[in-house]
Formats: sequence, structure tokens, C-alpha cells
Amino acid sequence: MNLHQSTATRSRDEIIEAIRALSNADWVRLRQVANLYGRPSITADDLLQEAFARAMDGRHCPVHVDVVRFLAEAMRSIAHGEQEKVANRMVFPSAESGDRQKAVLRQPDPAGSAEDRALNAEHTQRIRTQLFSLFDDDPTARDILECLMEGLTAEEIRELTDLDKTAYASKRKLIRRRIDKQYPEGWKP
Amino acid sequence: MTGKNETERAALDRLADALVEDILNVSDEDILAEFAEQGGDARQHAEKMRSLFEATMLVTNKRRMAAAKAGVAATRRTSHQPPPPTVDIAEARARLRTLVERSSAPSNLTLAARKEEELSNADILGMLEDLAELGIVAPKNGDGEES
Repeated sequence: MNLHQSTATRSRDEIIEAIRALSNADWVRLRQVANLYGRPSITADDLLQEAFARAMDGRHCPVHVDVVRFLAEAMRSIAHGEQEKVANRMVFPSAESGDRQKAVLRQPDPAGSAEDRALNAEHTQRIRTQLFSLFDDDPTARDILECLMEGLTAEEIRELTDLDKTAYASKRKLIRRRIDKQYPEGWKP
Repeated sequence: MTGKNETERAALDRLADALVEDILNVSDEDILAEFAEQGGDARQHAEKMRSLFEATMLVTNKRRMAAAKAGVAATRRTSHQPPPPTVDIAEARARLRTLVERSSAPSNLTLAARKEEELSNADILGMLEDLAELGIVAPKNGDGEES
């Protein structure tokens, strides 16, 4: 990649053209990515639409970056932002009653945000338990799953599990396919 | 959010990142075969996704149009404001001199104005404005005529 390639970005029309030209396989990829990043606070479809909108609204998409990867990264960022919002939400309950219809109490509602956080926490805990139970029959896959959740690199995981490259790739494929099969519409308990 | 839940959420996010990386690297043949194995019709699915994209594009186009309209309206509002009046500074100085000679202005102003040649253009205009506010001198309109 030369300097020009690293700085040049696609225009809005180029992004639209590139998205319209995506292959059937690319659309499957995008759907699966959306399913993985979808959460109770934002659905997979909302993620996809928001990512399309961001791409068209001038998010810089470098010409050397694959559009599917760019959209996947956009979904990741949107999902992360949504989760942060839930984690830090400050609710301002309206005091709409009687003569004070326009009045708003400028106080956070700790009960409301606590409820959202509790729901999110419950969802996270349930999904995590379910994911591990998918591999009850395969302790190596469970170990890899745990390592991936810990953020270990492929090399580190191979070393810990004593797997060669081929065996490791095969386990990763098994993990991905089993999870995809279990959650065809995203991580919903 | 509790620390424990934050850790678990981050763990799921890391797993999602790893699986996404796999999805982006798997071959077209494999991903289509897996999709078909689960009963999916890739062509039909692509059509649905394209429709979702086109619908999103319509919404963003509307948003862009609304923003453009608002921008044009704002520019119009700014450009329709009357230009500031042009001022002949020599004439303004002459007016002030005449006024001082008439001595109907407050003494503090006339005292300052007696040194008119030492005053800046801004001072001259400021004094004329003060005198207009006091009703001692008629204000000038945008065409340079007394209103």
C-alpha cells in the first residue's frame, strides 16, 4: 500500500456502488456479523441500517479497505456505543401532571438505569452460560472459547491447548458454526 | 454497571470480535455452503439485504435533503439582512464641528469634540451616535440621509 492508497477514501457514490455490488456471500457475512454484534439495546437489523447510514453519511471508508470489513467495523463501533449508553444512562423522568406538564425533574432516575443494567447483565450472563453449554461434549472447544473471551491470541491459545495450526483452525470453525447454528438471529437467550 | 458484568460483557465482545474475524476470512464457497446447510437461500437473503440497504439510502437521502434545505434557508436569512450604512467620515467630522459650534450638545461631549482632529474615526462615529441617542442630532439612515 502506498501513501496515496492509505489516505484516499471512497466517495458516497463509490460506497453506494460498492454495497450494491456485494455478492451473496458478502451479504451472508454482513448478516452474521450483525447477529454477533446485536444486543438487547440494538437489534441486528438496526445495526445494519445504522452502519449503511454511517457509510453513506461520510464516514471515511479508505479505498484499500474492503467494504464488508468497513461495515463490520462500523457495526462493532455502533454496538459498543449503544452498550456504553446503557451502562451510563441517566434517565430524566418527566413530571407531566396537572399544571406542571412542561416541568421536567432534572434528576437522574437511578431506578430506571439500574433496571436496564440489570436486564443487560442478566442477558450477558445467560448467553455466556449457554455458549459454554454448547461445547459440553468438547473440552478443547470450551478452553478455546474461554481463551477467546479472555482476548488471547491464536498463538497463545495454540500453545495452551497444544493444537497445531490445522487442528486449531478446525476447532475455530466448529465453534463458529455451532454458535451460528444455535443463534441464527443473534445472541438471544 | 457492576464490575463483574462489565467483565462478562467485555468477554462476549472479544468473542464476537474473534468470530467476526473468522467470518470475514472464510471463503465464499464455505460461507454459502454453511448458509445452505441451515436452510438458507443466499439469493433470497441477498435480495432482502439489498432492500434493507435501499430503504436506508432513501432515509439518508431525505435527511440530506432536509439538511441542505435548512442550510439554504439559513444562507438566505443572512444574505437578506440590509448592508451596514456607508459613512462619509469627512462629512461626519463636519457635522460634529457644526454641532460643537452650535454649542447645544452636553459640555462633556463638546469639550471632547473640540479636539475633533485628534479623534479617531470610530470616536467621531461614536459621538454622533451618542448625540443622536440624546436627540441632539438626527440619526442618519442607510442612504446617508437624516431620518
